[in-house]
Amino acid sequence: MRLIVSFFIVFIVVSFSGCSSKKIESPNEVFLSELNSEDEELDDFEDEFEVKEIYDPFSGYNRVMTSFNDNAYEYVLKPIANGYSYIFHEEIRLSVDKFFHNIYYPSRLVNNLLQGKFYNAYEETGRFVINSTVGLFGLFDPAKSSFNLQAHNEDFGQTLGFYGVGSGPHIVIPLLGPSNLRDIISLYPDTMLSVIHSTERSYWTLTDTIEEFLAIKSLEMINTTSLYMRDYEKLKADAVDLYPYLRDVYEQHRDKLIEE
Amino acid sequence: MINKVVKNILLVCIIFVFTQNLQANNNVELKEHFLSKIDDVIVTVKNKKLSKDERNSNIIEIVTPMFDFELMAKLSLGKMWKKLSKEDKKKFVELYVDRMKKSYSSKIDSYSDEKIEVKKVKQVKKNRIVLTTDFINEKESLEIVYKYHKPKKPKEHKDTWLIYDVEIVGVSILKTDKAQFKEFLQTKTIIELMEALSKKS
Repeated sequence: MRLIVSFFIVFIVVSFSGCSSKKIESPNEVFLSELNSEDEELDDFEDEFEVKEIYDPFSGYNRVMTSFNDNAYEYVLKPIANGYSYIFHEEIRLSVDKFFHNIYYPSRLVNNLLQGKFYNAYEETGRFVINSTVGLFGLFDPAKSSFNLQAHNEDFGQTLGFYGVGSGPHIVIPLLGPSNLRDIISLYPDTMLSVIHSTERSYWTLTDTIEEFLAIKSLEMINTTSLYMRDYEKLKADAVDLYPYLRDVYEQHRDKLIEE
Repeated sequence: MINKVVKNILLVCIIFVFTQNLQANNNVELKEHFLSKIDDVIVTVKNKKLSKDERNSNIIEIVTPMFDFELMAKLSLGKMWKKLSKEDKKKFVELYVDRMKKSYSSKIDSYSDEKIEVKKVKQVKKNRIVLTTDFINEKESLEIVYKYHKPKKPKEHKDTWLIYDVEIVGVSILKTDKAQFKEFLQTKTIIELMEALSKKS
């Protein structure tokens, strides 16, 4: 019996606690509290949006390089990519994209292993084996569609970030866009693991001379641009000032990738 | 004595289950509501009978009750907000809201056969819910996170839970705006910022 009574009490308490928070205010109080509650509401969010200052000693150079890159995109890359996508159907361009993604597997494998992500490394390996064979040299992605093996993009910059290395100063690279010191240094180990090289190596590579290297890299760049240029334009449309905007987008995105 | 202890434990358990349940209900409701809105948007986008302008304005009408654009406008200025005059505040909010709506509809414009899946709904605080979704197309799958808050007083013509920030692959719209406005205002005035915003929209 007492048990039932206490059940009942709990029920009443819970239902009343809901009521008390919906106290009815008189119109005068509403008016007065409006200004205060606005401030209160904003303060509630204040700590959530503490903007991290990005270390940017080269902002002068970066700003110039950003507008150079943007012009290069508008007046050179975009017209070429447009012509390219006019000739090649999207399906073909998606396959080219997949081909390039597939041959960068060694770098992804090593960086997944370096971060102790063994299951991801295993999935990546499965993807490489399946897509290189059944997927015709990586042109198709049966690993994902038929075997549900997911891609895990990891590069050396993320590996360094994983072990706590800070991003260092933000640096915009000619033609390649936003980056930072950590990620630029990381380009070296990643290219060592890439089969697209500008020099002769002791192991098999896709390109051996600087001409071949530039040709392949240009193809990759034009192909990527043709697929993702709309994304860049949509992104750009939200910028009040392009350089700090792209810088922030890049750094936030990299932080997120490292966090994963 | 033991009987009393058991009873107290039972009481605590009941309260716990009850509040947990309430939270879970919030999450489920929010997810259902979000998905039904997305369905409405998709139906509108795919309706070929409408002109592009009609489509966009319909979409904006559907999504506006989901967003707390005004709050976003205020937060995007950070500490600067409190220093603005009353008229400037009003004007800034108008410009910002307009820009958000335009930006949203231009992004929806190129929608083709993407799929949106809800991955996770989590109530992080009493008045905060984070909804994590995957935006999947044939090129890639993008993680888009919607952050909701529940205003103390429900707002007119708005949902109870309102989106105050969207994170696309880790990039927060609000953080990015806050950073770029802050940098802009270091060398320029709020008037110039408003001019830049009105040019964009």
